[in-house]
Amino acid sequence: MRRVLRLLASQEAVLLLTLITLFVVVGSINPRYIAERNLYSIFLGNAYIAVAAIGMTMVIISGNIDISVGSLIGVLATISGTMAVSGVPIILCWLAPVVFGVLISSITGFLVAYLRIPSIVVTLGMLSILKGGLIAVTGGAWINDLPDGYALAQLKPFGVPMPIYFMVVLTIVAALWMRHTATGRSIYAVGGNAEAARLSGISKRRTIMTVFAVHGAFVGIAAVLFATQLSVIQSTVPPNLELTIITASVVGGVSILGGTGTVIGSTLAAVLLAAIGSSLIFINVSPYWLRAVQGMMILLTVLADLYRRRRQGLVK
Amino acid sequence: MIAATHAPLNTDNKPVLSLQNISKSFPGVKALQNVSFSINTGEVHALLGENGAGKSTLIKIISGVYQPDSNPDNSLSKHKRTADDTSKIQLDGITVNLDSPRTAQKHGIATIYQELLLYPELSVAENIFMGHAPRTRFGTLDWTKTRQLAREQLASLDIHDLHVDQQVGSLSVGNRQRVEIAKALSQNARILIMDEPTAALTGTDVERLFRIVDLLRQRDVGVIYISHRLEEIFTLADRVTVLRDGATVGTRDVSDTTEDLLINMMVGRTISELYPKQPSVIGAPVLELENVTRAPLTKSISLCLRRGEILGLAGLVGSGRSELAQTIFGITPAQSGKIIHKDRPVSIKSPAKAVELGIAYVPEDRSTQGLIREMRISENTSMAVLKELSNATLIDTKAEQLLADQSIKKFAIRASSSEQLVEKLSGGNQQKVVLGKWMASRPEVLIMDEPTRGIDVGAKAEIHRLMSELACQGMAVLMISSELPEIMGMSDTIAVMREGELVATFDAADATQEQIASAMMGSGTTTRTAAAGDEAVTAIHGTASSQPGIDP
Amino acid sequence: MTSDNLPDKPASVASGAAATGEATGLSTPHHNSAGTNRNSNLLRRVFLSHEGVLLIILIASVLTLATQTDKFLTTDNLLNQCRLMAEVALVALPMTYIIITGGIDLSVGSILGLCAIVLGVAWKNYGLPLELAIVLCILTGALAGAVNGFFITMVGVPPLIMTLATLALYRGLAEGISQSRSVRGYPEWFYQLGQGQFWGIPSQLWLVIIALLISGFVLSRSIFGRALYAIGHNETGARYSALPVDRYKLIIYSLSGFMAGIAAFIFVSRVSTTRSDMGTGLELDVIAAVVLGGTSIFGGTGTILGTALGVVLIQLLKNGLALTGVKGDATIMVIGLVLIASILITNYARSRQSGQRSEH
Repeated sequence: MRRVLRLLASQEAVLLLTLITLFVVVGSINPRYIAERNLYSIFLGNAYIAVAAIGMTMVIISGNIDISVGSLIGVLATISGTMAVSGVPIILCWLAPVVFGVLISSITGFLVAYLRIPSIVVTLGMLSILKGGLIAVTGGAWINDLPDGYALAQLKPFGVPMPIYFMVVLTIVAALWMRHTATGRSIYAVGGNAEAARLSGISKRRTIMTVFAVHGAFVGIAAVLFATQLSVIQSTVPPNLELTIITASVVGGVSILGGTGTVIGSTLAAVLLAAIGSSLIFINVSPYWLRAVQGMMILLTVLADLYRRRRQGLVK
Repeated sequence: MIAATHAPLNTDNKPVLSLQNISKSFPGVKALQNVSFSINTGEVHALLGENGAGKSTLIKIISGVYQPDSNPDNSLSKHKRTADDTSKIQLDGITVNLDSPRTAQKHGIATIYQELLLYPELSVAENIFMGHAPRTRFGTLDWTKTRQLAREQLASLDIHDLHVDQQVGSLSVGNRQRVEIAKALSQNARILIMDEPTAALTGTDVERLFRIVDLLRQRDVGVIYISHRLEEIFTLADRVTVLRDGATVGTRDVSDTTEDLLINMMVGRTISELYPKQPSVIGAPVLELENVTRAPLTKSISLCLRRGEILGLAGLVGSGRSELAQTIFGITPAQSGKIIHKDRPVSIKSPAKAVELGIAYVPEDRSTQGLIREMRISENTSMAVLKELSNATLIDTKAEQLLADQSIKKFAIRASSSEQLVEKLSGGNQQKVVLGKWMASRPEVLIMDEPTRGIDVGAKAEIHRLMSELACQGMAVLMISSELPEIMGMSDTIAVMREGELVATFDAADATQEQIASAMMGSGTTTRTAAAGDEAVTAIHGTASSQPGIDP
Repeated sequence: MTSDNLPDKPASVASGAAATGEATGLSTPHHNSAGTNRNSNLLRRVFLSHEGVLLIILIASVLTLATQTDKFLTTDNLLNQCRLMAEVALVALPMTYIIITGGIDLSVGSILGLCAIVLGVAWKNYGLPLELAIVLCILTGALAGAVNGFFITMVGVPPLIMTLATLALYRGLAEGISQSRSVRGYPEWFYQLGQGQFWGIPSQLWLVIIALLISGFVLSRSIFGRALYAIGHNETGARYSALPVDRYKLIIYSLSGFMAGIAAFIFVSRVSTTRSDMGTGLELDVIAAVVLGGTSIFGGTGTILGTALGVVLIQLLKNGLALTGVKGDATIMVIGLVLIASILITNYARSRQSGQRSEH
């Protein structure tokens, strides 16, 4: 009984219920909203955000933040596209972003973990370097004429778009990893009480380094999905992407103070945010209000979280 | 899980851990010099000493946080060098190198720190097993087994009211401490270091802790017990080691010693010198409270503070004394009731308002509430009177400097200059900076919350002398203290709080320790008697032996 | 450039006493425990201070850039750069206050966008007099900042997350209100502040200098400034010392919004048009400048002089790179590099200085 209640009060359950309510209400106003085509387009265009939010969630749970994630996706997508255009085998074009993602994110992790510069400062620096560097190299040109077979995100095994597989499988894998491995739990330990973690023999440096490396891998995969969803790649940084990704993590229940949150929550939140964005059109609200809605959602989530903590006596 | 296979209680006197000639220096400071210390299985060994005597450095060496200086040649130069002079740490007779907390843990040394080291967002079971949780054969964490082992661990400590799935953040302080102890034992601790474990506990929890310590003794765990409360040492410990100025003064069997003797070892003076209270003339009321209420711990309090009076506010930790002080000072303003300041009803909604009315508050926790440790003495001293030290809004730095210099002189603060950062000062000197800050505001009412906690005995006497002087000059002092000897020795009037209510008021001249203690514990009520009884005994024990020190 | 102007201007904008106070107050790094022999330590202190490191980097960059292109070290170019950095500089001042208290304000760019839209929409769509629209624009900024401050102080939402929420919310309001339509065609006088000159100096630079002097003076000499440092080091301690912590925090976040409102006015006046995406990413430029200026993200330390140097350095490097042929936005690369490098250098210098001092 207690467990059932706790389950219902969890952020994941709240998100799922909100999502279902949204589908039911908007669907009854305009049935085209819940038509297969629209549902796919919701997932298709946003699965990469959910994937990146998985890594972001880990980073935030560890007590850090990465505001360079949008720029990193832009850079990795461009690398992948450039390789594809110049005739590199496609499998390598798909793998390269993951490798470079891990590498670049590890540099960030190194600066944070070993040189002890706060992550917000490091990633602020990385944001500028990556974004500026990208424009310096490409001049913002579009990458056209991508080879056949490159469009991973446009594949539809068993009639379901590829990004959905990625989103679901990666979420499950990440959730299991975070719940059932010592490394996964050490992320919660370091974010929840770094001093206690140190005394339990958990290395904060190594944990943070690992978190950023793993985050880099997820960002790499997200970049591949992003690069291959259209037939062109605009080699710039998608505006506000980092904000959308952080929003998904926060609305998914991760506490910006570290130590708590789940990747299932962040994926559900990414889907919910996308569904809300899509719903505006179907209920005749200008999509220009979308970001205001997102802002309100962050605020409401945080207020609800504060209320919960206060009731539990976690904060005064 | 627990290594409870050794011989029964206290018959095995072989030291499980012994430290010999341990020295540790930091730049400019010799924290420890040739300290030796040992602990047997199934022994509770108390570690006693003034603040700065080296207790925390010693336990940090034992728990692997610090490494001792490697056989120093200079510090040993005046000794004849023999084989016994070498510094070493031995576990079961084997020399070990405790180079990190992790190593110490692997050797079965666990520490319960003052500031609890738990993960508030995670479950009880996970907290107990963080870092060494049981694995499945695939190498992943085995949650079923983790929960089961956690349940067993708690049961073995006679803890049956904790659910292993509960979030630790939602537990009481006492329960969190129990989780910490279970966590330490889950790592097969053979030596458990407890640093001031009762500092934040209420009566019931203290009693439960004592029972757990007894259980540990029966299981042959060696407990190193650090406390400022002498009476606890007499209740719990088998042996006691006293440190002074980074050196061992001696180790005694508790049954062979007395409080006076221990204090003598700590400072080389007797308890009767501690409370030099001068009689003062008590005048008109300055501040009167009528049914002041603030949920949850200030319930309809009526009090009267008069000029020249020291009102001692006694009570157990958690009885609502600090909460009352914070309400008077406007940090958590009263929700109902009246506060009358010199015959005029006032409402104190903020600390600024309180200061305006001439109220000053020396809070319980110096480092987070009393001071800005990273700022200079001068900046701290001026903090409550910045308005007076400024023309328009600009701070007159010369006046600020002058004020700080005066304060340093007046309170005999040992500092290189008023520019020194407060964090570089000792506890006693920090407390004097807090006093200096509030004296600068020339208050008429001074609230002192545990004014001598964590201060060495010498500085303690100085603070008491100051307090007495201030009362003689006509200040109304409200002193909150958990030490009955201090309450008895310093107060003109004694008020007792219990569970947020004011339960008794005594004239200090007529009161006995038994009366105050029983008012604190609320003897007569059913549920709390057993719990509080134990502390009543220790509290009375403490005052009884300090009786010679109380001025008539 | 701006620092060259500092010494001779104050006489006309602030009292003489204020100016001298500023000269010392601005540059005193807040917490260097005073050495016993001041003179011998002074030089080392200057070089070890973050401001010292910045100044050296600044001079080195100016010299390098001057040899790379002759278009760099010209009055026209430098004055124009001052125009371009005015908005960042104005918003960076309250941001310094906020970061000193251990807070952060990510929403300044969005507030700027919202204020710009309020200005344009109030004037164009609702037919308000332009003067009134300007006032409304600035008030909107102050209100938006006050909302942040209210939730942060009264409700207890962490500043990072509160301003993250309003970063989205205020931008969303700007987009929603304007439906992403731009406003142009302002009367000629309106451009005076953004494009005009006053005694040969860009109009907005005067505003920046005045704001800089006042905020530096307030931070280093006033009760308010002292309280900000105290809050940054230990908020509880400040509260128990009877400092009005909540009121001051409310003030700085409101001030941040207020400055973003003024910056919006200058921005619109400078580029002659109002768009809802104005100020996107401004928060990053501003925070980068403040942190580059030596204000610790953990609170408790920082100076206005440092922030001023940070703003100038970033702008000059961007400009220098652009002149040497680096394209458009690519110049922001240099922000990241300098930001991380300067922190590494300062950390290295400090660790050398404090040598074997124990961490515990």
